[in-house]
This record gives sequence, C-alpha cells and structure tokens, in this order.
Amino acid sequence: MDVPIRTIGVATTVFWAILILFAVSLVYSVKDLQFGFGEPQTSAAQDGNITVSMPINVTNNGYYDLGSFNVTSTIFDDSGLTIAWGSTIIPVIAKGRAEIVYHNLTLDVGSLLQRDQNYLFDDTQLSVAESVSMKLAELIPVQASGNFSIHWGAPLYNFTLEQPKYAEFNFTHVRMMVPLRFENHASFGFSGDVRIRMYNDAGSLVGTGDTAIEVPQRSSFKGDMEFWAMASLISTTGHLEIEFQTPFFSYGPEVIPYG
Amino acid sequence: MYVLYFVSSLFLAQVTEAIPTLLQSIETFVTLYIILVVIGGFMAGTVYQYFFGAGKSLFVIFYLVLSLKSGLVSATYGNINLLVDLRLFLVATMLLSLLGFARSILQAINFMNEKAGLTGFNL
Repeated sequence: MDVPIRTIGVATTVFWAILILFAVSLVYSVKDLQFGFGEPQTSAAQDGNITVSMPINVTNNGYYDLGSFNVTSTIFDDSGLTIAWGSTIIPVIAKGRAEIVYHNLTLDVGSLLQRDQNYLFDDTQLSVAESVSMKLAELIPVQASGNFSIHWGAPLYNFTLEQPKYAEFNFTHVRMMVPLRFENHASFGFSGDVRIRMYNDAGSLVGTGDTAIEVPQRSSFKGDMEFWAMASLISTTGHLEIEFQTPFFSYGPEVIPYG
Repeated sequence: MYVLYFVSSLFLAQVTEAIPTLLQSIETFVTLYIILVVIGGFMAGTVYQYFFGAGKSLFVIFYLVLSLKSGLVSATYGNINLLVDLRLFLVATMLLSLLGFARSILQAINFMNEKAGLTGFNL
C-alpha cells in the first residue's frame, strides 16, 4: 500500500505546486494589464440616432491570454427605462498584444423625446451603468461595474416665442414676425423646419409660415418666424401654434397665446 | 511552506497593497497551517499524525470556502464594484485537498495495518 500512497502524495504535491504557481503568476500578471478609455466621439445620423463611440485600448503584457473581454453600457432615463444599450466583445486578447476597439452606443433621440418631451426643454442627468468583464487566462472571470451619470443637454432649452410684430402690410395682408429664441444645449446640432400658425380670438386661421433653421450643437438660436397674415382676420388676442420637424425629433403643435 | 509564502508574497506585493485584506487572509492561513504541521510533527510515529494530516486537508477546504466567500469575491472602490469568480480555483483546491484527505486516511489505515502486523494481531 506504500506505493499508491506515495503516488497520491507525489501527484498531490505536483498539482498543488502547479496550482499555486498558476495562481501567483496570474495575480502577478494582472499588474501588466493596461486599459485606456479615450474621449467619446458623438456622431449624428440622418435617421435621428446619435452614436457615441468610445475608443478602448487594452494592452496585455501579462503571462496569459485574456478571454471574453466585454464592455457593456446601458443608459437609463429618469424613470429607469433603458434608452440605449451597447456591448463590445473581444473574444481573445493574446499575451503581448494591444487591441483598440470602439465601443459604440446608439441613442434613439427621437423615441426618447417622444416618450418624454421634457428632454426637449430641460437639461438633466441620465444614469449610465457600465460593466467591464473578462476572463483572466481565459479561466477566471472578473467583472468591474459601476454607475455614473452623464449630462443631457436639452435641444430647445429656454424656448421662448415672443409676441408677434407687424413688419409691413398691403391692402389685404400683413407680414408678421414672431421672434423665436432657444439654446441648443445638446451634443448634436440639428436642422429642420419650424411651422407657425396664427389664429385669431375666434379660432380662425389668420396666417401660416414655414422657416428652415439650422442650429449647431451648444449654440443659441435667435430668429424671426415670418409669414403673411390676412389683415381682415387679425385680432388683438388669439393664439400661435408652433411645430418643429427635424430628423431627431418632431414637436408640436405647441399652443402659445398672444395679445 | 514558509518559503513558498515568502516567495509568493514578493510576487503579490503590488496586489496586496491594493487589497490589504488579501495579505492578512494569506498570513492567517499560513500561520494556522504551520501550526497544524508542527502539531502533526509532534505526533509523528502515532496514528494521530495522520488525523492531523486529514485535519489539515479539511482546514484548507473550509478556510478557502469561508475566506473566498464560496468563490465569488467582491470589492468596492468608490462607485466601482469588482467581482472575481474564483469558483474554478476553489473547486481545484477542494479536489486536491480531498485527495490529501484520502491520502491521510489511507496512511492511517496502512499505519494501523502495519502496526497490527507487527503485533501479530489477526482477525
């Protein structure tokens, strides 16, 4: 019975040595892993989606390959609903290699603004859940996760439609000017049409006009909505209806009384 | 054992700076293990030596299960949660410890068998 016992003893010792060597070298090689997160780049598509692309640099100078490197980001709105989700996976990062991947997150601004139009006018904070996971030596799963918030800039911040002014007139019509002001705090610029309708106190349509606007990101807009109104229908009080049509959002008609 | 601990701690120095509880946990483990080895040494030549050998294996299993929190180790740094899944490592150590436990039992049986043979005890 001595031989089997001795064999078990030798095998146990050898496996313990391998396991401890593996564990120590694995932990030691973690210090040679380097992760770099670059500046996120924002791009807007014509379909109303905004893509945030963040370069991630992973340098594996450890003793073992990294497996299943995964970055997942989820953006939540105020009510906790998911408004954007993105995941980037690198199956294997071999030892001694450096990889750069772009982690893309697509935000459907249109559906966000349709769901809650306060995002058009109010700046707020959106919650982001970020998770980075990998398998050290393709065996030991490790996950780091955290929550933080990002700033949401409203595209129509401080939206103001001022009282209509009379610019010029002829026998039948009056050219109206309605000053419009807002600040685009969003990280994207937008262009589109603004349609304005003027109704008198009897609810009859007095005039309507379309104006094309182009607002760069993080800039103020100040312009006049100009249109011709029928002079005979103009009253001192009434209401204006304004509508926005852009690739990112459609808004309106917003009813604003005048007079 | 101490030499192994000493060499390992040199390699793990940078990591243990970041996770101070790791070094404390390893030190406690090594201390208790050495105490069991020393006590087992005092019992050399008796069957209790193998009982302490079996006890060492069980100690390794229970200590690792408790200190590694069943294999899922988590830590929090600010608002970042770190989760390390060591279940595979834990299973490997448990299997090796069970192998050591079986070896100790076999050694005890063999010891009793040899002792019975020397004293001429037969069933």
